[in-house]
Amino acid sequence: MEIASNLLLGLSVALTPENLLYCLFGVFVGTLIGVLPGIGALAAISMLFPLTFHLEPTTALIMLAGIYYGTAYGGSTASILLNIPGTTSSAVTCLDGYPMAQQGRAGVALAMTAFASFFGGVFGILVLSAFTPLVAAWALSFGSAEYFALMVLGLVAASTVSDGSPVKGLAMVVLGMLLATIGMDPQSGVARYTFGSLSLLDGLSISALAMGLFGVAEIITSVRANTGRTIQARDVSLRSLMPTRDDFRRSWMPALRASTIGSLFGALPGTGPTVASFVSYGVEKRIAKDPSRFGKGAVEGVVAPEAANNAADQTAFIPTLSLGVPGSATMALMIGAMMVHGIHPGPNLVTEEPELFWGLVMSFWIGNLMLVILNLPLIGLWVRLLTVPYKILYPAILMLVCIGAYSVHYKAFDVMVVLGFGALGYLMRIFSMPAAPLLLGFVLGPLIEQHFRRAMVLARGDFSAVIERPISGTVLLITLLVLVWSLWSSFRKRRQTLAAATPGSRIEDED
Amino acid sequence: MKLIKLAAMATVLATGAAQAQDFPSSPVTIIIPYGGGGSTDLIARALANELGQMWDQSVIVENRPGAGSMIGTAFLAQAKPDGYTLLVNTPAHATAPAVQKTLPFDPKADITPIGMVATSPYLAVAGTAVQSTDLAGFVAESKERPMFFATAGVGTSSHFAAELLIQQAGIDGEVVHFAGGGEAQTNLMGGHADVYISNTASVMPYVNNGQVKALTILGASRYDALPDVPASGESGANAIDINSWVGLFAPGKMDPALVEKLNADMHKAVASETFKKVLADNFVLPGSGSAADFKAQVEAEMELWSTLATERNIIAE
Repeated sequence: MEIASNLLLGLSVALTPENLLYCLFGVFVGTLIGVLPGIGALAAISMLFPLTFHLEPTTALIMLAGIYYGTAYGGSTASILLNIPGTTSSAVTCLDGYPMAQQGRAGVALAMTAFASFFGGVFGILVLSAFTPLVAAWALSFGSAEYFALMVLGLVAASTVSDGSPVKGLAMVVLGMLLATIGMDPQSGVARYTFGSLSLLDGLSISALAMGLFGVAEIITSVRANTGRTIQARDVSLRSLMPTRDDFRRSWMPALRASTIGSLFGALPGTGPTVASFVSYGVEKRIAKDPSRFGKGAVEGVVAPEAANNAADQTAFIPTLSLGVPGSATMALMIGAMMVHGIHPGPNLVTEEPELFWGLVMSFWIGNLMLVILNLPLIGLWVRLLTVPYKILYPAILMLVCIGAYSVHYKAFDVMVVLGFGALGYLMRIFSMPAAPLLLGFVLGPLIEQHFRRAMVLARGDFSAVIERPISGTVLLITLLVLVWSLWSSFRKRRQTLAAATPGSRIEDED
Repeated sequence: MKLIKLAAMATVLATGAAQAQDFPSSPVTIIIPYGGGGSTDLIARALANELGQMWDQSVIVENRPGAGSMIGTAFLAQAKPDGYTLLVNTPAHATAPAVQKTLPFDPKADITPIGMVATSPYLAVAGTAVQSTDLAGFVAESKERPMFFATAGVGTSSHFAAELLIQQAGIDGEVVHFAGGGEAQTNLMGGHADVYISNTASVMPYVNNGQVKALTILGASRYDALPDVPASGESGANAIDINSWVGLFAPGKMDPALVEKLNADMHKAVASETFKKVLADNFVLPGSGSAADFKAQVEAEMELWSTLATERNIIAE
């Protein structure tokens, strides 16, 4: 009964005309920011942050949060249509979203993304409204040993993201991890590979890396390949946008699994939507009956990462609101918006500021509904974007990417990083080296390293202490099982292929 | 053409003398060398707001985070010392140079301290794994179970304050670095690390929410908002005399008249009712003193931390 009255209270706050208006404004700006490659939620929220001084704290939060989860809806649009992720957490969506678009199923992919995002978002809100204290306590029990184990599992689970040669994929994961070591060593303070540059002391910017590797590389490739190719206006009638019954049938379970994974990673401070999208994609590919469909336009490959990153965006509010601990730079701004008004979020927020907490939670429902209603009709518009000649579209995107890279830290250096990774990304495409594993390594590498180093300090250098902890030990055991299972299954598959294949195709297989 | 050149020269000559009186005649930028949303960010934004109203000029706030505040400071060092580019920083201004040996500027010569905006004591807070409630008990407890001091990162003030307390109070403990104060305190709450030291702005919210417990105030005297929490001086660690602060900085080689005007205007802004409320919300006290006082304090801290860095072998070469 208490939950009902809380929800009613929240609804009464969220439904005031002012809050509705700011919610709509937030999700609209968020969608837009998400669609535009390069410019992310952090930059947009930073720019609108001063507005919070003049707003009620609840209203301010509703607006800022709307921008935040709105970007996750919009982020996949450019991934699907142009193979350029709008946000880092939508990079994985390129893998199957873009092939779908090439098969003329762009509208379907976008529609499924909107549904998946809504599903993930709603799932995340359910977790947020029902289990916040529980999840917060659970997140606190996670020390560095547990994070380390979980990140290793994530790496193993997601290491299959790319198609083609496993050796090349693995090499790219390692390269990503190596690139992530640039900067100040978090435990000793030693500057690694910075060559005395202050800009490199904090390492390479992840959004700059993702924009270069995916965005700029795609643009260079298209320009090189696009000699005389004409863009045809595709059939964008509403009928062609509708996913088939088969698309829905395939998507339920992936959406559910991905939402669970997303909720988990979102609630842990310091991980977040990008990790969640990678892991959920990896999981779907692993448990699929026919993994070879992935990377060629499998609808699950679009649904899973999008459900996961939206769920993660919502559950990221759990540590923010109930512990007062920001899990990311964006969440720090959310806390700032409350501190401006003298509110310090923590375990007592729900009881001391029920209007704020439940009002915000209910605004998430409303915001997610608005996003679906907003995004479905926009699909037709976005698909028409493909009819814009590339010679107009690409320079504009390149500009946006550069502005976006600059706007995060006001550093011209980050723009150079984008260009550098654009060149690297193009080279990698020539040698058919996949980019997604590099990003995966870059995201998970530093998490694994930091948590491992810290866990070892806290265990006074005794690795068995890491294994003996119940959660980390179990997770590491699962990791081992997954590794053994995948080695065994690939061995078995290889034997089958060897038995069936002719010598000629065997050589090809080893490529 | 000649006329324009002459006019330009005349302007250059005139600005030297009239700079302080006319300041500011165009928008002023205040750099925050951190990302948005933290207490320093909020205090700096409130200060910008007050100064903007006082000067009837727009005062623009720019977040330039990175390298433990040194990216923003390096940017300030390159700006013209005309008062139109200022920076708000914390004791990181003195701790970061103690670990970063290859800064592209001289932290003493290329930066002019203007004045102290706010000040607060350092507070050591303990997590669920710690039994004792005061420093004396904590020192004893550490002899049985060596303690982990969580920091907000290598070279941050929480790192140096921890090293100082370990050294001065004779605690059996070592530091473990986290990615920011939030993560450090989460690990205290979860019982994965034991103690965290920072300014009251970053720890008081968690103390008030009962998520961590206040162990001791670093310094000789207690803190008004926590009258029951003993100061470290009461437990024999007499040599600790440090306070956290938020300060205003300008580029080096600034005209003394302009420095004085900026210091006076800053104090006027700090004294306003709206600003006082912001300070109180963040558990900090208004700052005081001349630019020279502040410069002396900043330089003394630079000495203290760089000596401590050597003594405690903080930087691995």
